[in-house]
Amino acid sequence: MKKRLLAVILCAASLALLGACAKETEKVAFGDAGWDSMKFHNAVAMFIAEHAYGLETEEVSGSTAVTYGALKTGDIQVYMETWTDTIATYKQDVQSGAVTELGVNYDDNVQGLYVPRYVIEGDAERGIEALAPDLKTVEDLKKYRDVFADPDDPSMGRIYGAISGWAIDEVMRQKYQFYGLDEFYHYMDPGSDAALSAAIAGAYEKGEPIVAYYWEPAWITGQYDLVLLEDAPYEEDLYLLGQCECPSISLTVCVNPDFYKANTAFCDFLSRYQTSSALTSEALAYMKNNDASYLAAAKWFLSEHDALLDTWLPADKAALVRKALV
Amino acid sequence: MPEWLLEFPENISMNIKTPIDNAINYMLQNWNPFFDGISKGLRTVLSGVGGVINLIPWWLLLIFVFFATLKMSGKILRALFYTALLFFIGVIGLWELMNQTLTIVVTSVLISLLIGLPIGILISSSKKANAVIRPILDTMQTMPSFVYLIPAVMLLGLGNVPAVIATTIYAVPPVIRLTSHGIQQVDAEVVEAARAFGATKAQALFKVQIPQAMPTIMTGVNQTIMMAISMVVTCSMIGATGLGSEVIKGINRLESGRGFAAGIAIVIVAIIIDRLTQGLFRKEEAAR
Repeated sequence: MKKRLLAVILCAASLALLGACAKETEKVAFGDAGWDSMKFHNAVAMFIAEHAYGLETEEVSGSTAVTYGALKTGDIQVYMETWTDTIATYKQDVQSGAVTELGVNYDDNVQGLYVPRYVIEGDAERGIEALAPDLKTVEDLKKYRDVFADPDDPSMGRIYGAISGWAIDEVMRQKYQFYGLDEFYHYMDPGSDAALSAAIAGAYEKGEPIVAYYWEPAWITGQYDLVLLEDAPYEEDLYLLGQCECPSISLTVCVNPDFYKANTAFCDFLSRYQTSSALTSEALAYMKNNDASYLAAAKWFLSEHDALLDTWLPADKAALVRKALV
Repeated sequence: MPEWLLEFPENISMNIKTPIDNAINYMLQNWNPFFDGISKGLRTVLSGVGGVINLIPWWLLLIFVFFATLKMSGKILRALFYTALLFFIGVIGLWELMNQTLTIVVTSVLISLLIGLPIGILISSSKKANAVIRPILDTMQTMPSFVYLIPAVMLLGLGNVPAVIATTIYAVPPVIRLTSHGIQQVDAEVVEAARAFGATKAQALFKVQIPQAMPTIMTGVNQTIMMAISMVVTCSMIGATGLGSEVIKGINRLESGRGFAAGIAIVIVAIIIDRLTQGLFRKEEAAR
């Protein structure tokens, strides 16, 4: 019995050794914090890294906090879509050189409080009445607490807030107080973005009213017909106090500083990597409508917007990518 | 080597994702009244339990823990220690949140026992029932919670209601398993003797088998409570209130201190409940 056990252990150990020897060159790790636009941009950059720069790539998934932490320690090298406002330490990290900011991926996104369109306009096809016909601005919510009643306490309404820990959560809470909504509504902490999406999707499929924080571009705002509630025009001083609409956040491409030093050519491409909210939404819609994978969407996107390659890449590299796309 | 030996052949494939999605969508659109009913029922239980827990003033709970531990162990130092631990939760400002967590845990445990004890008793007498229910229990314990949490949120909305359901799914298996196991372990001769004295089947079950199996059943109850507490953080990812959401906030903001403070409070709650329930069973055992 003992001998057999020893044999098994020896076998396992030698296999493990073999495996360790066979381990190939290090892969470039792209951070995936969980939402689809980031995964899409990862797919595009990974495709280019593999075909134009001959780098092996992999995607590492986790929460924002975990993946961003890994970017600093070097377990993740590339972060394609950093929501600079939601990471509390971002500014210090860039200044102290803990992460290297290469450029802005896109900065024309939207966020705020959304309601399904049928709440305002009704939907004859689904037999839904317009429950809040005059709802236009955030402040208008005051009139409609009965429509958005909180199941735990029907005398109040419920606003599905931002995810606690995101910087925007503080702003939304300020807004909630500034407009006096705290008298009429509970501000619900959804706990995670997956849960927030599920709550919106669930309410929408059932045709129930809901008012929730969300952002664009994202598949939720792409797939469901949601209306952003209006707010006062953006002013820098008022924003953090929650008294005006949210500005677009710049979503940057960041890399680990050591990776930056070792791969200047590839990082040069990343620093030119620029898209827009519309381009991202277009790709996400393509994915949803064609049931396509992220890689398939990336290929489709690169062939559809061929000109981007010339602005991102030197001529020889662009040619390599075009060759791989055929 | 041919490729089909190295890699799983691509042409053997089956799509189970779409049917599952369709089933969930169907439930969303057609079973709304049913889920609303569940939701309302659970909400009532939750607010009842929460009302009772919030009614207990902090000092009464401390005194209770002190005397309970004293009675269980007979050691003043240990009683003082547990009371101090509980007091510490208040000191770090988490008393309110602890009450919210206890509300969810107690509700889930009550429901688990209500479902688990009868099922455990029912399946104890039949090998077949055991064979059917075992893989189901295994699934409930190993299926990653988020897989069913997200559909649960779509059907029931965010908050404490889906949290109780998720906790119950995770926490009910031990009490079923150990109840059934305990009853089966009871000596066949003892049961036979009872029957020979004219006890009906039911009498033998309730007056002989279950009392004999009590220590094992109580271990199951204890494990169910522990597993319910271990779900606290997961549940907060779908908007459950309490210590778990404090942990999540700490993690999301990279505030390790905040996360640890709430984490320590969860550990303290778990230890105190564990020792108290275990002590209770040992007392019972000793009394017999």
